[in-house]
Amino acid sequence: MKTYDAIIIGAGHNGLVSAAYLAKAGKQVLVLESRAIPGGTLVTEEFDGFMADMVQSGNLCPDIIRNLKLARFGLKPKPVSEIPAFISLLPDSDILVLESDPVKAAESIKRFSPKDAARWPDFLTFMEKATKFLESAYDTLMPRLPKVSLSEGYSLAELALDLRLAGRKNMLNIIRVIPMTAVEFLEEWFESEQLKAAVASVGIHGVTLGVMSAGTTFNLIHNWLNRGGLAHQYLGRAGQVTDALVAAAEAYGAEMRLSAEVTSIKIEDNQAAGVVLKDGEEISAQTVLSSADPKRTFLTLVGPMELSPTFVWHTQSIKMRGSVAKLHLGLKSLPDGMAADTTYTIAPALNYLERAYDAAKYGQISEKPYLEVTTSENVISIHFQYAPYKLKQGAWNDKRDTLEKLAVDTLAVHFPELQSSIVKSKLLTPADLETTYSLTEGDLNHGQIMLDQFMFMRPIPGWSNHKTPIDGLYLCGSGVHAGGGISGASGRNAAKVVSKEI
Amino acid sequence: MTVNHYDAIVIGGGHNGLVAAAYLARAGKKVVVLERREIVGGAAVTEEIIPGFKFTEFSYVVSLLRPEIIRELELPKHGLKILPLPSTFAPMDNGDYLGLWDDPDLTRRELYRHSPLDAEAYDAYSRAMGRAAKAIKPLISLIPPDPSSLHPRDLMGLLKLGQYAAGLSEKELYMIAKLVTQSAGDMLEEWFETDVLLGTKAASGVVGTLLGPRSAGTAYVLLHHYMGEIDGAFRAWGFAKGGTGGVSGAIANAALALGAEIRVGSSVAQVIVKKGRAAGVALDNGDELQSKVVFSAADPKRTFLQFVDPKYFPDEFIQSIKNFRTLGSSGKLNLALSELPDFTALPGEGPLHRGAISISPSLDYIERAYDEAKYGQFSRRPFIDMIIPSAIDPDMAPPGQHVASCFIQYAPYDLEGGWDDAKKEAFAETVISTLEIYAPNIRRTIVGKQVITPVDIERIAGITGGNIFHGEMLLNQIFFLRPVAGWADFRTPLRGYYLAASGAHPGGGVMGAAGKLSVQEALKDGLL
Repeated sequence: MKTYDAIIIGAGHNGLVSAAYLAKAGKQVLVLESRAIPGGTLVTEEFDGFMADMVQSGNLCPDIIRNLKLARFGLKPKPVSEIPAFISLLPDSDILVLESDPVKAAESIKRFSPKDAARWPDFLTFMEKATKFLESAYDTLMPRLPKVSLSEGYSLAELALDLRLAGRKNMLNIIRVIPMTAVEFLEEWFESEQLKAAVASVGIHGVTLGVMSAGTTFNLIHNWLNRGGLAHQYLGRAGQVTDALVAAAEAYGAEMRLSAEVTSIKIEDNQAAGVVLKDGEEISAQTVLSSADPKRTFLTLVGPMELSPTFVWHTQSIKMRGSVAKLHLGLKSLPDGMAADTTYTIAPALNYLERAYDAAKYGQISEKPYLEVTTSENVISIHFQYAPYKLKQGAWNDKRDTLEKLAVDTLAVHFPELQSSIVKSKLLTPADLETTYSLTEGDLNHGQIMLDQFMFMRPIPGWSNHKTPIDGLYLCGSGVHAGGGISGASGRNAAKVVSKEI
Repeated sequence: MTVNHYDAIVIGGGHNGLVAAAYLARAGKKVVVLERREIVGGAAVTEEIIPGFKFTEFSYVVSLLRPEIIRELELPKHGLKILPLPSTFAPMDNGDYLGLWDDPDLTRRELYRHSPLDAEAYDAYSRAMGRAAKAIKPLISLIPPDPSSLHPRDLMGLLKLGQYAAGLSEKELYMIAKLVTQSAGDMLEEWFETDVLLGTKAASGVVGTLLGPRSAGTAYVLLHHYMGEIDGAFRAWGFAKGGTGGVSGAIANAALALGAEIRVGSSVAQVIVKKGRAAGVALDNGDELQSKVVFSAADPKRTFLQFVDPKYFPDEFIQSIKNFRTLGSSGKLNLALSELPDFTALPGEGPLHRGAISISPSLDYIERAYDEAKYGQFSRRPFIDMIIPSAIDPDMAPPGQHVASCFIQYAPYDLEGGWDDAKKEAFAETVISTLEIYAPNIRRTIVGKQVITPVDIERIAGITGGNIFHGEMLLNQIFFLRPVAGWADFRTPLRGYYLAASGAHPGGGVMGAAGKLSVQEALKDGLL
């Protein structure tokens, strides 16, 4: 029987990035994926003849693309001129068009506030500095505190230096704004409600927090980094990114098995010994990387018996709380006025967004939801917030029609022809996200992006360095530091840790 | 004729101003405190608004007052007497109640009645919070270093901070990191399941902020309230004999005994600047007083935007002060009562009347109260923290009668349409009808009342925005970011001008720390 240096659970983007890095470093790696297609949440799938990026799309970190030479495997970043606009749909058919070109964006902002238009370039500069800092934070391994080794201390010092190099004023400002609410942060910059709300929507995207919740500025910077700005800048379809990653991993020598669901991680004397598949097959390895979320990894795959009660308690306390539903609409053609490859947001006012969140706090679906809509030639993908995983009343399966109608009606206000152009639809409730994509509680980020689950507290304090209480078991998914979103940073960082140890 | 030359002038006779003056006098400096009102105390005053009934108008309990200040200024000798506030009683919507008593066994039995799991977790929780409070306490008396500065003072500060952190265990370090970033609700839900316990514990996390218990950062505010100690007992809350005015009175007596001068009815118009240094103040009545340095115990907005010509400060500094969040969210209803409120859940007179009475039946209750406030309404069903000073200190009301101090959230400063008499009356009615649910006799026992909104706090106590902490205790407004990044060491861009109150590190509450630390820093500068 073939032996592997490492087994990686899950062929999502992080699992694949880890696999490719380790294989490239000469390790024998096996990737096990429960679904019949690789990609995890980074997938393009068919529904009734239409193709959609089912869950998420996004960018990988530029250095991953470079290091893994993904361009050779078919991944070609778009030229900057093709980066689409971020359009806020406003009442009375008004729109705010935030193009990636700051001059053009300022033109549109000017209609709402000349003062804000003048501040826009400075805001972009600040956001660039803030995302740079976050990027270096995500590039730094978070050691266990307070016992920091010399090399770990060195990289932390480097991170501090990066922050200081942004300039004294910026350094203090970045530290200051991270815990702020999106509302406070944006009110320091702008006066136009429309602009503030449009930008603030990115601060609540993917999290169960409101624009008035502390820490949504952090999520704004996090999403800004992962998207490359306000609008989603795709490298290509989600599936193309995954294909390139798979091709690269395999070219470097990694093996991949699909439809191979891991049901438990074998542990002998607190040492990882391999995995057990659903059909009973056992595969041995001294090193196991799990790209599953931390709750699933520890509470299901490892099991509480192998862990200390405190560790189990901390793991149970990780906040997952998905409240996103995805609705894909297959169309005859895009309704009049809607452009392909564009990001639309329905975020007309700060209070509108906050009220949408209020519902989620009490386990209800937002009656007036925040939507982010991405388009292709004949498919509209709607990101719907808030659709809380834990409903106060009823089960998700009984809410499908309600949710679909809410989403379509909300969007149809701006595109009256929408209704008549829908041919097919595909809805993913938070419950579907959990069952189909193994996202505990439907949380796209494997754990909420919030201040107490950030840096050395992600996924839980003391375990942000990809290691776990089980020797030889590592976390490489979005739930650990650098994770959340499609950046591949945690997969990359985990591979670095593992290759030093095996 | 009074001689108007001083070593130091302290603007504002609140508790921090008085502490600063006492320490300056103790260091042998000639100091005067200028108080706008006819009484000292600021937001820590006791006033007889209704004849015979003494109201602790704003601040009403004591716990956070630094023990070293009590010791060094010999406050007990000057009249400070703190009476324990032994219990918390929280009536519930279903007619039941939760009682947290000073006897741990009784509390444990009481918790068992609600949830055995919570009873089991309670001691561990209390120990964990006590540990966290103890671990974080040294930070209170530390001058926050500016992490971006290369000044030797800041580098030393960072080193000290590093040593402090290195001295903590991993467990403590992470606990603090989580407490600083979490929401009170999330933190408590890791420990407990009983709604009324969660609500009652979470309430202290939202005091003085315009945040709900599910907002990040509220766990820190909760911890801030755990840092209090009375006679070395952590977490103990007490009531000062004579109300919080008793605290201010004791500090004022101490300051006077040490040789400080206190002038009431002296409203400062402006700080006089000579050769780029604070050199005295001009009063509203035209008098001028000269001094080597000036301390402001007013809030940061008044200190920097009103007392000093903005031309002495960099534009960015002014902008940051303008951005400092000072909007008040708390109100008070002070009641004169003919008899004690009788609670349906626990009828008759009892120990509950000598403790805190908390209307906080669940997390959702407080969160919903917050929802209304964030859209500019006062809560229709507010969180109320009531104490009955006269049950603890009979001197507070005529014999047989009582005063009740109700702290209320949320009452936003920026009420939609603004506060007026009708709104104030409606607000009082909301509070009374909420109390009526739990103590039906309360309405007919009311013989007089005083309603205080953040606008009243601003008008009477002179705190901009009426925020009880001189500025919210938000993550972006604490430690080296308080009040403004780079200026957390009590110094200001104007030489010889110091910030000495709650708007500076370590923040709000009747602590006195800012008063003491500002003097300590000023004495290092060689201007005095």
